[in-house]
Order: sequence, then structure tokens, then C-alpha cells
Amino acid sequence: MSVAEATVAPARPAGRVSGRHLLILPALAVLVVFFVAPYLNLLLISVMTPSPRAAYLRVLTLDNYARLVRDPFTWSVVWHTMWLGMATTALSLVLAYPLAYHLARSPRGARGALMVLVISPLLVGVLIRTYGWMILLQDTGLINQLLRALGLRTVPLMYNNLGVLIGLTHVFIPFMVLSIAGTIQGVDPELELAARSLGAGAWRAFWRVTFPLSLPGVIAGTVLVFVLTVSSYVIPSLLGGFTVLTIPILVVRTITELFNWPGGSALAILFFAITLGALWVYLRLAGRTGRTT
Amino acid sequence: MLRRGERVWLNAAVALVYAFLLAPIVIVVLAALNAGAYLRFPPEGLSLRWFVAFAQSRSFTRSLAFSLKLAATATVLSTVLGTMASLWLVRFGGRLRTTLRILLTAPLAVPGILTGIALLIFFYALGWGKTGFGGLVIGHTLICIPYVFLITSAVLVRFDQSLEEAARNLGASPFATFRRVTLPLIKGGVISGAIFAFVTSYDEFNISLLLSGVGNTPLPIQLFDYLRFSFDPTAAVAGTISIAMAVVVVLLTQRLVGLESLYMGGG
Repeated sequence: MSVAEATVAPARPAGRVSGRHLLILPALAVLVVFFVAPYLNLLLISVMTPSPRAAYLRVLTLDNYARLVRDPFTWSVVWHTMWLGMATTALSLVLAYPLAYHLARSPRGARGALMVLVISPLLVGVLIRTYGWMILLQDTGLINQLLRALGLRTVPLMYNNLGVLIGLTHVFIPFMVLSIAGTIQGVDPELELAARSLGAGAWRAFWRVTFPLSLPGVIAGTVLVFVLTVSSYVIPSLLGGFTVLTIPILVVRTITELFNWPGGSALAILFFAITLGALWVYLRLAGRTGRTT
Repeated sequence: MLRRGERVWLNAAVALVYAFLLAPIVIVVLAALNAGAYLRFPPEGLSLRWFVAFAQSRSFTRSLAFSLKLAATATVLSTVLGTMASLWLVRFGGRLRTTLRILLTAPLAVPGILTGIALLIFFYALGWGKTGFGGLVIGHTLICIPYVFLITSAVLVRFDQSLEEAARNLGASPFATFRRVTLPLIKGGVISGAIFAFVTSYDEFNISLLLSGVGNTPLPIQLFDYLRFSFDPTAAVAGTISIAMAVVVVLLTQRLVGLESLYMGGG
């Protein structure tokens, strides 16, 4: 704006224009300085040379990535993480769908009460819920006590993949329910009714009408749960003990125990790229969902 | 729609999943109230002895106080920043709207453990070392901003802007308009955003794991260290406090904005 324009323009609108942007400035500053910059710094350190004497040497190299990609150990951890992610996602989809369907088709009053049941676990810290599972699943835990009382053999439910799977599924079911319930609610119940009156059974009407129409929510929930699962740290480390190793656990160990900052950063960036890819898919699908409903 | 027989099957399946969802939470409360050191069937009777043990444990009470102080600070900061940002974005966003919306919700979307690592290394690079309380406040505020932003935005888009214009036309200053018109109308959203921020910070684990140091231990980290070596029900008391808080929050949010506005993709 030129000086002439500025003096001609009435005082109030000019004041509003500058005052307006003060609203976004603080949040933007915090995010740029303490979110964007740290991630860029991580990217930078991932191409520095590791050193036993300092945090890293200021010598650029791509060796950290090359070493990661060549190491079969990395790939076994990546595969294990992906496997856990896929198994958890599949399991929570199967368990969450009936819940979402039931929720979406409940009368208004009941829906409020059911929402309380779905959301409450989300607000109890992951650590607390994991502790609840530890009481239930450990070798002397309630489930094994019950098995023993029935004269059955005890089953190792914790410090293995099974325990991690149970804990992860439990934590992420609410996210899946919330994603799916929204789209089911958008599907007119009359459509299902029409299919039924034309002779389709309950299953057929569901698979051919309701399920395909709820697909946007299913896809969004699937991607969301997958991303959240592969990046979780507490559950695999407490319910998996030392037997379950995932990428986040490996990243933390490399940086805080081995003090290999460049190596850990490279692994973090690699992992970040994977989740970002999944998230990009999610945002595109969520955008499409928003347009259709 | 379903016929009666089919509805019975659906209801049975749904009841089982709800039982699965609530099981570990109920168990934690039972363990805290149980008299014995282990949860056994039949239970050994009700007792508050673990609550007493918790209150007498210096490390637990100290980290509880630390967690509350941290959550309060992060809540105030993220509520102010998040509400301002959502006001701007809903009203004037313009071409930058999509980009800024992604940036403001990004801390929620990226793995928290990576953000913790990035912050830890960043603080060292700045020469701040173990930053203690300050570093934790920054990390927690970052994680809380998306919640405040999302919930306040959901309320703001339903807001009738002509009310503000009317106030301005009648001569109210921008600040008076905000305080007398805008704020009362979006109050529910701001309060529930703040409540979510508080609970998020109180329960936050990933960021705290990496940024906390000696003497700066939030409760979840204290619990994590404790649970690796012991199953003692003192930890269950901490869990029960957190569960009670969650119940209050859910009921409050339900009254203030309605939980349905939290559907993913909705609002």
C-alpha cells in the first residue's frame, strides 16, 4: 500500500486489517519454531556423520540411509511394525463396524449415552488402559486365574504379539467407530429397507447396499488406525516386553541409548515418510468423503 | 432395517465389544479399591489402603502435582492460541486456509514419539539441553493446539456472523464485540476445547518420555517407570484418578457441545 492510499483509507478498516492477522500470528509462530523447525533439524541431522565423541560431525553424508536400507535387521523391524499395524487395523475394523452401525441407527437419546461409552476410553490415558490389560493378561492375571480355576492350562497372553495386538486394538476401536458411524448415518435407512422388501436377506442387503455406501468412512478409519498403530510406543513396549520391537521403539533406543543421533534421525525420517504417505491417502479420501456426504 | 431376531444378534455382538472396551478401565478401578496386593477372585474386600499408599508416596504425589501444573499451563496457552487461530481461519482464512488448517492439526497427525525426538534434538541444538518444565510446556502446547482449534472451529462455523456485524454497526469496538457477542456464543466450544487440552496434556506420554528429566517427571512417565518393575495397585490409584477425570470431561463435553460434533469428518 502506498503512503497516499494509506492516508486516504479510513482509519478503522486499516486497523482491522493489521489487527486481524495478529489472531493467527502467535499460533503460527509456535508451530513454525517448535514444530516445523525441529522436524527440519531432524532431517538435517539425518545426513550428518555419526561420531563416538560428539552428537554428530558436521559432514554431510547419505550413509545413514544407505546403512538402514542395507540392514536386514531394519527390514525385519519395519515388517513387524507393518504386520502389527495391519493386524490391528483388520481386527478393530471387524469389532468396530457393528458398534458403528448400532450407534448410527440408534434413536437420538440412546445415541448420546452410547457416544459416552465410545469416547470415554479415549480420554483415559493409554498408559492406564495398558495397565488394566496387564492386570488381566499377565501370567498370574485374572484371565489365567480363571483358566486355572477351570482346570485348564494357562496361556501366555502378555510379553508377546498377542498381548500387543489386544492392547492396540482396544485403544484404536473408538477411532474406527467414529470414522464409520458418521458415514453410516449419512446412508438413508430406506435404501436398506427397499432392498429387504425386494427380497434380499439381512446379510445381502447389508453387503450390497449399506456396506458399499459406508466405504468412505471405512477407508478413512482404516488409514487413520493404521497410522496411529504403527506410531504407538507405550503399548508395544509394556505389553510386548523385550520380545516386540517396532520402529518407534527402535528410533527411541537408537537416540537415547545408543546416542546415534544421525542414525536414529534417518530412521525417524524414513518412518515419517511412511506415515506421511498413508496420511496423504487419508486426507484425499477424507476430502472425497466430505464431498459425497 | 433389521428384524427382531437379527437385532438380537447385533445387540449381543455390540454388547461384547462394549464389554471389551470397558474391561481394562473397570479392572483398574477394581484393583485400586481391592484390599489385596493382587486382584483375585473372589476379591479380598474393599479398602482404601492403596489410596493412602498413593497419598504417602512422595514420588507419586510430586509427579501428580507436576502433571497438574504442566496441564494447566499448556491448557491456558493452547486455548488462547488455538481459539485465536480458529477465529482467524474461519473468518479470514482466504487462500491460505487449507494449508494453515493442515499445519494447525499436523501435531495431532504425526507420530507423537517423533515430535518428541525432534524437539529433544532441537533443544540440544539450541544449546538448551534438558529444558525441564519449559520444554515440556512447549511440547504439550503443540499437542493441545489441534484439539482446541478443531473443537472451536466446529462451533464457529455454525455461528451467525451478522450478529457481530450488528454489534459493530451499533458502534461497539472490535474488542467489545468479541467480549460481549462472539465469546458468549462460542463459549461452549472454547471450554470443551480447553477441557480436551487439559486431559490431553495430563495423559500425554510420548513427548513427556523424551523431554522429562530428573525432578521434572509428569505422572504418566512416573507410572511407566513403575509398571516396568511392579504391578503394585498404587499405580491403579493414579489410573482411577485419571478415569474419574475422563468421566467428568465426557459428561461436560456432552452437555456443552454434544459429542456427536466430534465425529471424524463432521463439524
